Amino acid sequence: MADEIFLIRLLSFRFWPHFVPLIISQAMLGFGASGVALHLLRPRIAREPEKVFAWAVLLAASSFELAFRISQHVPFDPFLLLWHPSSWPAFALFFFLLAVPFFLAGTAIGVPLSFGLGNAGAVYAACFAGTAAGALLCLPVFSLVPTGLLLRVSLVLGLFASGFVLAYPGRRFRAGRLLAGGITLMFLLLPPIALSLSPYKDLAIVRKLPEARTISVRFGVSGDYQALYSPGIHNAPGLSYRFEGEIPPQAAIFADGELRGIVPRGGGKAPPEYLGFLPAALPYKMASRPAVAQFGLRGTEGILMAAGNGASSVTVVEPAAEFAGMVEDDLAEFAGGAPAGIRVEIRKEGGRSFLARGGEKFDIIELADISSLTFSSLGIHATGETYLLTREGIRAALSRLTDRGMLAVSGWLKSPPRESVKILNTIRAELGPGGRSAPERFIVVRGWGSFVVVARKLPFTGDELAAARRFCGETGFTMVWPDTEPPAGRKGLEEAGFRDSVRSALAGSPSGVDADRLFDLRPVTDDSPYFHRFLNLRSLPEFRRILGDQWVPFVEWGVVFLVASFVVSVALAAVFLLLPLPFTPAGGSGGGFPVVVYFSALGLAYMLIELTFLKIGILLLGDPIRAAAAAVGGFPLLSGIGSAVSGGWESSKTMRRWVFPGIAILAMGGFLALFHGTFFLLEQRLAWRSLAFLAALAPAAFFMGMPFPVALSRMARADSRSIPYAWGVNGFFSVAGVSVASIGSLWIGFHATVAAGAVLYLLAGIVFPRLATGGIPAR
Amino acid sequence: MALWAGLLCVAAPSGGGQEDPFRENRLTMVRDQIEREGISDSRVLAAMREVPRHLLVPPEYRPMAYEPRPLPIGEGQTISQPYVVAFMTEILRLKPGDRVLEVGTGSGYQAAVAAKIAGEVYTVEIFPSLADRARTNLASLGFRNIFVRQGDGYYGWMEKAPFDAIIVTCAGGHVPPPLLRQLRNGGRMIMPVGGPFLTQNLVFLEKGADGTLSQRNVLPVVFVRLLGH
Repeated sequence: MADEIFLIRLLSFRFWPHFVPLIISQAMLGFGASGVALHLLRPRIAREPEKVFAWAVLLAASSFELAFRISQHVPFDPFLLLWHPSSWPAFALFFFLLAVPFFLAGTAIGVPLSFGLGNAGAVYAACFAGTAAGALLCLPVFSLVPTGLLLRVSLVLGLFASGFVLAYPGRRFRAGRLLAGGITLMFLLLPPIALSLSPYKDLAIVRKLPEARTISVRFGVSGDYQALYSPGIHNAPGLSYRFEGEIPPQAAIFADGELRGIVPRGGGKAPPEYLGFLPAALPYKMASRPAVAQFGLRGTEGILMAAGNGASSVTVVEPAAEFAGMVEDDLAEFAGGAPAGIRVEIRKEGGRSFLARGGEKFDIIELADISSLTFSSLGIHATGETYLLTREGIRAALSRLTDRGMLAVSGWLKSPPRESVKILNTIRAELGPGGRSAPERFIVVRGWGSFVVVARKLPFTGDELAAARRFCGETGFTMVWPDTEPPAGRKGLEEAGFRDSVRSALAGSPSGVDADRLFDLRPVTDDSPYFHRFLNLRSLPEFRRILGDQWVPFVEWGVVFLVASFVVSVALAAVFLLLPLPFTPAGGSGGGFPVVVYFSALGLAYMLIELTFLKIGILLLGDPIRAAAAAVGGFPLLSGIGSAVSGGWESSKTMRRWVFPGIAILAMGGFLALFHGTFFLLEQRLAWRSLAFLAALAPAAFFMGMPFPVALSRMARADSRSIPYAWGVNGFFSVAGVSVASIGSLWIGFHATVAAGAVLYLLAGIVFPRLATGGIPAR
Repeated sequence: MALWAGLLCVAAPSGGGQEDPFRENRLTMVRDQIEREGISDSRVLAAMREVPRHLLVPPEYRPMAYEPRPLPIGEGQTISQPYVVAFMTEILRLKPGDRVLEVGTGSGYQAAVAAKIAGEVYTVEIFPSLADRARTNLASLGFRNIFVRQGDGYYGWMEKAPFDAIIVTCAGGHVPPPLLRQLRNGGRMIMPVGGPFLTQNLVFLEKGADGTLSQRNVLPVVFVRLLGH
């Protein structure tokens, strides 16, 4: 379990932060393949199950480290998937390699259970305890162990387990096993893994700059943070070309390899002048001594911008304590200390939690850089949850503004405009009934390749508009709203797209439905919080027709990667889980239509429900890793307990009447309670939120552990030849279900995805009595 | 946010002076990807027909050199798709005798295309290894009017300023003030905004005769067509 979560972090660092579905798919493939293998090779294993068990444990011990080391040498580049044929086999190999350790671990777990080694209850209990311990262990480990050494923890745990089996059975040491144990031990002596970054990640590029040096490193649950200094770093996003001064030397801070913030050298002593020439400075020009809240620490740049533009206080909300610590402590000297004349507070909590918990009001709330210039321009984050940019998030932010307070959002212009229009649609939808009177409450300014939107609950005054125009005059930026025409002298000099899109968004339909037929620019909600997903599936044919072979710059790589993961995982699952089935020792028996329907429904449904809980967990727990630990740990743990006690629920009547409907009701009920209790739960402390999350998933997860073993038990009594099919089909659809759950969340939303899972459980309940006709009499 | 960094790299050319097996691919590329998409400057078209792009990409990508896509060229950098190179060159309205500054030498392809039209091209690359390779490769291709320097392109090439045109091939988050100062009155400058991998947006700046600056986003033809304008 810990390895699964470690791998999520490692691949987030190497590539980008949306590898959760991929890792879970790999784990499902490995575990599913082990189940199939155990049944296919049953006669052989039955001769010496202890030996197979011992070898599985020994090989699993070092396999995570070994597989990851080898995977780093696979020339897998996600960006080449769409046009370089060799990328696909490389991706398949990469996927396969990381699934092997899960196969070995699954075998090590499966042999004692399937072949009666030891007390079954004790083995079950150990499995559950291990699952829970793994999920719990990984959280402190992230804070104690550098990212590159995470798999050493797996190695040590593996060695610990190996110690028990070296002399097993009969307490006699075997040379081969000793050798395997020795090799595992040798891995500890090897130099740590040097994580190879995707060459396109910001950190990889900056590391190569002349004189680049790392000046601070921190790691923890929220990520791996590194601060680098190089004279070649010059960051001033959207800086006006009217600025003629010098940008001071800067340090750049990277979270899991992506640029997260900038610290200008000595900025604390005197805020750099260039910060007044950025589009994000606009709201400061319209306020006097404002109290400011900023979401997301941007190094010290955000704080210095507030200080340099006359703010009385700035509260920065940053969930990553490691990042905050780096800025407050490690880089304090480089930064020149805290700026004078302004109260600075860094609140280390999630944005939505902060908005829900406090009562303090602000004159300016900044949501800066909603689109980063690098990865988001490629659509990498299309599959990443953005709960601050949903209607609910914007509503919460508006509630924390003073009457004349301003919500400021900035980002990069795209062609055609996307983020800019979507955020306008979202804010407009929340500003008033139907957004009808909202247009008077917006100012939109176009900067150098960037934009800033300022919105508030009351209309802007003439003085404020004059201040905004003055700012535009000084910086060379242009007002796009409420000035709907370009200023004199600029007609014909600017592209029409952005101005037209803003006019359409603010003067057209408040829903945003008509804003663009090619891209989905409708406001997003917590039910499908993917602000950066613009791909409109229905317009794909037109998209290709219009763009021809120039479509590549517009593709959303996050979606491409998700679909590619689905294709590769399903192909590998077919090879390793379905193809071997006809070769069962007993000649093979498909078990018929009911077996296929039942076990495919279970595999798919489980993933739909588990993954959707994980995604809503990101909102509640404020962090993908915490949510992954809670969901990926909590579901198997509770299901395992349900599985262990399922013996008493085997009758058709009990299962049909109670278990399957119970799962459907509890899954939907738990999800609805979490989802609709969000505003209340976010006000609570993290510990209470974690408990609430686990309490919501526990009942459903408990019962979700029953249908699989109960059905296997029935089949074993009637016709055990179809059991390998059950494993294979279930494993296949579990692998596929991971990607299907993510795709469902993106396009049909969480409610519908969980509901689909619930319906599949009901379907399984209908098929259940037909699994084995000679089964157990109803109780 | 964006970082300024050097861009692109160069592969060792081979087969210079021999029969060009990619000639047809190149002519097809110019016809289908460049002319058909609206590039009409005859000097740009001629330059694109002449420069052997396949010799400036890594050997494993040579078969794809004339396809409408950027290609990785190592060091996390890419060579822009042919259309973007043609578009950036055309919009600068280069003419013989112009002195051009390029920031981000990379593969040297953009410098080579510009050098076929302009008088002198000064190109700066931040990564020493890339600068060395570009210098060698461009010389072996016979370019005598391209001057490669390793350094931080953010500061331009002050000793050779002012320039009639500045072409920035690495995406950046802002226009470096030193580059603006090195642009001659009446000069033009083009720079991409966006990720280093795919160009979606280009910003064009002009310095008037009186030194005043104007800027606008210029979109490749396909983007304009997409917008319906």
